[in-house]
Amino acid sequence: MNRRKLSTFASLAAIALALGGCEKKEEAKPAGGTIGFVYVGPRTDYGYNYAMDQGRLALEKDLGKTTVFFENIPENAEVQRVMERMIAEGVKTVFATSYGYLDPALEVAAKHPDVKFMHGGGFKLAPNLGTFFADIDEVEYLSGMAAGAATKTGKLGFVAAHPIPQTLRNMNAFFRGAKSQNPKVTMNVVWTGSWSDPTKEAEAANTLADQGIDVLTMHVDGPITIAQTAEKRGIMVCGYHADASQFAPKGWVTGAAWNWAPLMEKIVKSIDSGTWKSENLRGNIRDGYVKLASYGPAVPEPVKAKIDSVKKAFEGGAPLWVGPLVAQDGTVKAKAGDTLSREKIESMDFLVQGVVGSVK
Amino acid sequence: MNAFEIILGTLLSGLRSATPLLQVLLGETVTERSGVANLGVEGQMLLGAFAGFAIAATTGSPWAGLLGGFVAGALLSAVHGALCLWTGANMFASGVAVWMLGGGLSAFFGIPFVGRKIDGFVPPDFGAAAHNPLLGPILRAATPGVLVGLCTWVACGLVLYRTRPGLRLRAVGESGESASTLGIRPSRVRWAAILVGGGLSGLGGASLSVDQVRNWIEWMTAGRGLVAVGLVIVARWNPWWALPSALLFGVVESLALRLQTLGVGISPYLLSTLPYLVCLAVLAWGSVRARARGAMPRDLAQVFSSTE
Repeated sequence: MNRRKLSTFASLAAIALALGGCEKKEEAKPAGGTIGFVYVGPRTDYGYNYAMDQGRLALEKDLGKTTVFFENIPENAEVQRVMERMIAEGVKTVFATSYGYLDPALEVAAKHPDVKFMHGGGFKLAPNLGTFFADIDEVEYLSGMAAGAATKTGKLGFVAAHPIPQTLRNMNAFFRGAKSQNPKVTMNVVWTGSWSDPTKEAEAANTLADQGIDVLTMHVDGPITIAQTAEKRGIMVCGYHADASQFAPKGWVTGAAWNWAPLMEKIVKSIDSGTWKSENLRGNIRDGYVKLASYGPAVPEPVKAKIDSVKKAFEGGAPLWVGPLVAQDGTVKAKAGDTLSREKIESMDFLVQGVVGSVK
Repeated sequence: MNAFEIILGTLLSGLRSATPLLQVLLGETVTERSGVANLGVEGQMLLGAFAGFAIAATTGSPWAGLLGGFVAGALLSAVHGALCLWTGANMFASGVAVWMLGGGLSAFFGIPFVGRKIDGFVPPDFGAAAHNPLLGPILRAATPGVLVGLCTWVACGLVLYRTRPGLRLRAVGESGESASTLGIRPSRVRWAAILVGGGLSGLGGASLSVDQVRNWIEWMTAGRGLVAVGLVIVARWNPWWALPSALLFGVVESLALRLQTLGVGISPYLLSTLPYLVCLAVLAWGSVRARARGAMPRDLAQVFSSTE
């Protein structure tokens, strides 16, 4: 091996070392029904992964379970290796929390029929693999109500990653909630094109602030950058995924947050009692799987009371996606009194009138 | 909002998002002028962003964070220096290795710092000037990170074109062999250029995490280090052209976001390619104009044209 070959080898070794460095394992404990969690990002992101990890912590605290977790696991063959390793170390239940883990989880599940798998958000099943998720639309509506009451300029801003049904549902729900409190309110949308690009998120928030928008909200992996930029600019912010009020103590309004603990506890109890079956478990505000984050100083008591009464109505079964629903281009999506079908909601591809932004 | 305010706002937000890019671009320009390419700047930027954030979070001082970012970037670029100058490794392979190493190390050690809060720079009280429609936005945009970036720009330009060490660096980049006949030791000059270049890239990363965004998340630079490598060519390896090039990218990037909020009926995905398209156009135009002169340092050009 000459010097050049040696150095190329050294370079490749460095790459391998770096790629291996993405993976982290903590507090592996002995076998016996251990529950394993796999996260696509860090569990301290105050976003999607943080919300999932709160569920894991509840399993430890409320049910006395032993858990292990892996963070920053990319949605590729890597996650299969991670799941195999967890199972080899005694994990009997795997929570694969990221959308892209579905197919890898199905493959691993086929090899380990004695292990139960729960995937977050998917719709495919295997005899030992089920899925779980929750609708957060109603909570976005409540969060929008608070934003509509809090805004002074009547202009809201929404920063999101990609125009997919989930983000469009959140935008429309948030905007309709705001409009119920302030009929003149408008909302501008900025797409960043990435679930996690803090530079663009900060710039988008600044751009919206420059235009006199005084309440921001978002649908990206972590709310921290946008919350902090709003606070720096002296405007308000509604969060997403989890309570991030500490990053905007002055400007925090409220936010839509996941509450996975009751759902995960239900799943684990059903496995323990042998009643678990492979199904697509879904829930919403009625089940308490989603909730409103804490209120900031900008929301007065009468508004809180109003939000509370609407929340009770949703919990009682009042539908959110009820007409009139008119898209930006004037197309009527639902006539007054009509309710959108489940399929229409889950494939939503439009923004309602009054929202400024593109859906392509 | 009148046209003047829109133009000023776009320019200033362009400057804000161009600042980290400017530092990396200047760093890479210095390195390449000595005849070495460093594709690892993305890794140095990431490590600088992590180190800067971690140090700012631990010490409470954003200035210490910026300094720490510089040091971290320089240390990582030393790996590149050792690989290409000592072992004679292919500088592209080494650069990519260092890039991945920086990303992996920062993601691994950065986990405990995700979700941490840092105190950024506290803007001073500008008094009445803050309400002036012209002065106010300018004063608010001139954060310490931006000012450090502008000072670095002037310093790089002056050192490279107006001082003896700068002349030596350029001589080594044009021809290491000729320079060594004049008593200059090319490897020493290149080591210095690699360390300064890596340091500036780390500083760019730190000014991103500590000043611009005040947040740390793994792989947060999202390819901006590589953009800087490309912009070096747009700037024709001239540090004075680094600011206009970085600004061009930053302004078009922020313009693309602004056009979205104005409800322009263009897909946001197409809009977000605008900065790259504009830079490609400038690159093509500049290359045609400069073909006769050729701005690439000659020793570096050899690396690109050699088949090894």
